[in-house]
Amino acid sequence: MLKVKRLIPMLMALLILMLALYPGHGQASTQSASGTSEEKTIKVGLSPDFAPYEFLMTVDGKSKVVGSDVMIAEEIAKDMGVTLVIEQMSFDSLIPALQSGRIDMIISGMTPTDERRQNVDFSDLYYTSRQVILTRAADVDKYKTMDALDGEQIGVQTGSIQEEIANGIPNAQVTAVKTISDVVSLLTSDRVNAAVFEGPVAESQVKNRPGLAIAEAVPEDSDTPMAIAVQKGNTELVNEINVTLERLRATDAVDGFIQQANELSSGDTAPSNIFSFFWKYRGFYADGVQYTLLLSALGVLFGFIIGLIVAIARLSGVKILKWIAVAYIEVLRGTPMLVQLLIIHFGLASAFDIKFTVLQSGILTLSLNSSAYLAEIFRAGIQNVDKGQMEAARSLGMPRGMALRTIIIPQAIKGVLPAIGNEFVVIIKESSIVSFIGVADLMFQANAVRTLTYSGLYPLVIAAGIYLVMTLILSQLLNLLERRLSAGDNR
Amino acid sequence: MITVNNLQKSFGKNEVLRGIDTEIQKGEVVVVIGPSGSGKSTFLRCMNRLEEVTGGEILFEGKSITDKKHNIDKTREKMGMVFQQFNLFPHKTVLENITLAPTKLQNVSTKDANVHAESLLQSVGLADKKNAYPAQLSGGQKQRIAIVRALAMRPHVMLFDEPTSALDPEMVGEVLDVMKKLAEDGMTMVIVTHEMGFAREVGDRIIFMDGGVIVEEGTPEEVFGAPKHERTRDFLSKVL
Repeated sequence: MLKVKRLIPMLMALLILMLALYPGHGQASTQSASGTSEEKTIKVGLSPDFAPYEFLMTVDGKSKVVGSDVMIAEEIAKDMGVTLVIEQMSFDSLIPALQSGRIDMIISGMTPTDERRQNVDFSDLYYTSRQVILTRAADVDKYKTMDALDGEQIGVQTGSIQEEIANGIPNAQVTAVKTISDVVSLLTSDRVNAAVFEGPVAESQVKNRPGLAIAEAVPEDSDTPMAIAVQKGNTELVNEINVTLERLRATDAVDGFIQQANELSSGDTAPSNIFSFFWKYRGFYADGVQYTLLLSALGVLFGFIIGLIVAIARLSGVKILKWIAVAYIEVLRGTPMLVQLLIIHFGLASAFDIKFTVLQSGILTLSLNSSAYLAEIFRAGIQNVDKGQMEAARSLGMPRGMALRTIIIPQAIKGVLPAIGNEFVVIIKESSIVSFIGVADLMFQANAVRTLTYSGLYPLVIAAGIYLVMTLILSQLLNLLERRLSAGDNR
Repeated sequence: MITVNNLQKSFGKNEVLRGIDTEIQKGEVVVVIGPSGSGKSTFLRCMNRLEEVTGGEILFEGKSITDKKHNIDKTREKMGMVFQQFNLFPHKTVLENITLAPTKLQNVSTKDANVHAESLLQSVGLADKKNAYPAQLSGGQKQRIAIVRALAMRPHVMLFDEPTSALDPEMVGEVLDVMKKLAEDGMTMVIVTHEMGFAREVGDRIIFMDGGVIVEEGTPEEVFGAPKHERTRDFLSKVL
């Protein structure tokens, strides 16, 4: 009979193997030219859903960040004689990441607003774009002037300069979402009727998606300059960047980059059949599944161990331990996991200089969060074990710890296995929030495919299907374990 | 072997034991009888500190076990206990139930523990059940296994807490037979029971408890034959 005891070392070995197979950084969003660790690098952060400035492309089945901003970054790295490392993350995570020192600079079509200047320093401007109004082609005649947008429903990207412009439109009902592809989805699904877009970005969308058009209306004062952000006070880096920008400006190189990038962006055509769609982008999903599995497995493992310790502390006679355990459980269960994730990843970094990689932050958050739920499940399980079991074990001379370990906990876990299984399924699903800080998990890759293909439905349906397959396999495994553990029940 | 001095135990305001004094000799079989709520089970459970005493002292083989500094786990290895509800470990086989404590606590090799367990099982007539799980056994079988589990630690004394009270009547005999054999082999035993026939036959000494004190003690002939105390007479008239 296969026993749990023997399963644990097997699981551990599997995990170690999985870890060993991972890239050293433990960070999928990192792209770097191969080089030794002695080589100096510069880390640039960007949000690659902003074609033609920065976007993802499939190159040999793998995703790669390209775009005019990437070309500028490459020039800067070349002039500084260092290796360029690209970190992808959502646009509103960029400034926190810069402030906490995870990245050295942001080149992500960022406009140097006064608000941002309070938090970061900017280089000279490298490009100035205009803003346009993107609408459905059928409605394009409705919006000949900005007045027509009065009271209209408008979509924008959260934290962007377009959001500010939209907020300036009288009576506008502004919907702000995380990515450009989300804004486009809002538009195509009639949730908003117009969207404020960067000119070249809008052109790239119009070219790739039928049914969209740029309206005649032009937002006032819509010239939006772009600059490169660095950590506040890092004048040395600003100066070096400005030298490169000066060189590029002399030859109008940036215009050329944008044109090149625009041509690149129209290359990818997505299959219209979901199966061939999946097959074409399977590389993305395969990468994502690995991270989702790693995160969930470690989250479950550590959550299990921590949860057990917390449950035992909660049930111990020592008042102070009990109090700490109760506080731990209540805080972690009573606050959103997203908030916990952001505090661990950005909060600790800026306040105490504790810098976890995105993967570490993700694993830590999942472990802590699940441990609180598991602790309560274990507590219920332990309390349900007959009191006589502990007495019998103690009467044989077993110390409390040994009695818990060999007699009480195995029975407790068996009793609450369905609840534990539930929690494991929850962890697999909830692990998707780590995409928020840029862990390249399944959700992250699904979003990457959305951006890449301008397709709103397939990438998400495929991701949902993969999550479902994973959770179904897990439930089956747990059923099997449950049957094995109930060996003593048959009569 | 066990000396009990002025033992007191309260649960909150409820005084269950109000000063017990007695001594249990090596090889002696002491049977504790008395009405429900007289404190006899509590008295037994205090002897291996499953209940923490509130006052008084218990000496085991010359050492105080009620002293806070005393390592009770080591002492418990020498004091086997059998419970009313058997308390076998349901997730372990019979053999595992028996060998778990010797291998974990006394550095006995699995092989030696198995050999010992099998000979003990043989002596209670359950050798064929070694790979069964507790749920597959009858109550009488479970209790015999529970006795074997305690014996596997080679205890110096065995404590029995109403070992037949949870059994169907037809299974009481098989458990009592095992206990009788144990007594004949010279095991020191303290037994809380309602089986008066058994007490009379096997006991070297009978302790009658009521209201948290020892009312009367003596040989079975003295206590059953000529009870001195009114309360003893009253109790015996109801149960005999």
